[in-house]
Amino acid sequence: MKKSTPKFWLQRLLYWSLVFALIAVLGSCTTNDIPLGTTSLNSRYTEQQPALSGNGRFLAFVSSFKHSQQLVVYDLQEQKFIPTPGLNPQSTVAESPSLSYTGRYIAYLKSDQGRPVIALYDRTSQQSQILTLMYRYWLRNPSISPDGRYIVFESASRGQWDIEVLDRGPNTELDIPNGAAVEAEKTNDQ
Amino acid sequence: MTNDQLPTKPILLLLCLILLTGCFGYPQFLSYPFDTGGRGLNSPASELNPQISGRYIVFTSDRQGSQDVYMFDTVTRNLVDLPGLNSLDTITSNPSVSLDGRYLVFVASREGYKAIFLYDRETHQSRNLTANLQREVRNPRISADGSRIAFESSHNGQWSISVYERSGQPVNLPRVFQ
Repeated sequence: MKKSTPKFWLQRLLYWSLVFALIAVLGSCTTNDIPLGTTSLNSRYTEQQPALSGNGRFLAFVSSFKHSQQLVVYDLQEQKFIPTPGLNPQSTVAESPSLSYTGRYIAYLKSDQGRPVIALYDRTSQQSQILTLMYRYWLRNPSISPDGRYIVFESASRGQWDIEVLDRGPNTELDIPNGAAVEAEKTNDQ
Repeated sequence: MTNDQLPTKPILLLLCLILLTGCFGYPQFLSYPFDTGGRGLNSPASELNPQISGRYIVFTSDRQGSQDVYMFDTVTRNLVDLPGLNSLDTITSNPSVSLDGRYLVFVASREGYKAIFLYDRETHQSRNLTANLQREVRNPRISADGSRIAFESSHNGQWSISVYERSGQPVNLPRVFQ
């Protein structure tokens, strides 16, 4: 009994230090939202490559601060940034965004093993997928159709910049406004 | 022996089907005719900055000797006339079109001065949206419903984003954009 008391004290200290350490670790977990209202005309923020959702509510753009660059989505109606987990991977840079009608799909350019590829982010599933994995040529400037089925981009396949059209297929979950007739969106039969 | 051979047939059939569906798998690239006469989507000249909205694809091309804005209809597979949009003394670039194909925004450059114009296909009129903005502008995009236009503007070489209503009224953005 006498021996166990000092041991108990140490254990209690250890317990509290663990609790404080955990709180400190949690406290350092800040969101990666860019801070608002700290910019001035001489700040090092730049905002480039804007893209609007088809309904005009969401604005996607590339925000640069110092040497880091992020693809962010802003809600013009609620006046806040929309969380897009998994859109900005640590290893590569996402750029040239393009939005579908309600902002569900974000088509953008990223680098895959040093080669530019077109990726598609689905805000519903919060997943990103590469659409041009097997495409051998250099490409840039993707643009997604409002319904989310087609993506046009510039391709260097003929030794100059030409336009390619990518079809995600008839089984694509279309991003159309609520209450809209399906016939309102054209279906390009190929 | 016959009992062993029977299930192989459907398996083979299934394998063939899987191989066949692989040929028509999505995503796939659509082929639009390559036209040397300059009436198609692609030409011997370069095509830049494509934007798709519904059935229309707008882009820039110098297929007729000067850089102009073109609009391609993916249903009729023809170019759509844009009377009054491209003029001889301006260089037009970075077009963006609304879903119904009525409104186009683009950058027009004349004698080194750049401005963002809104073109109405019903009236064939262009309107300068940034006439009162003493800034360099680029990369305009119109929303598919034609209600808003976003673009980049530069003050002392620092680019930021502005959003305007189609009427030309600026949309209020937090300070981080300004």
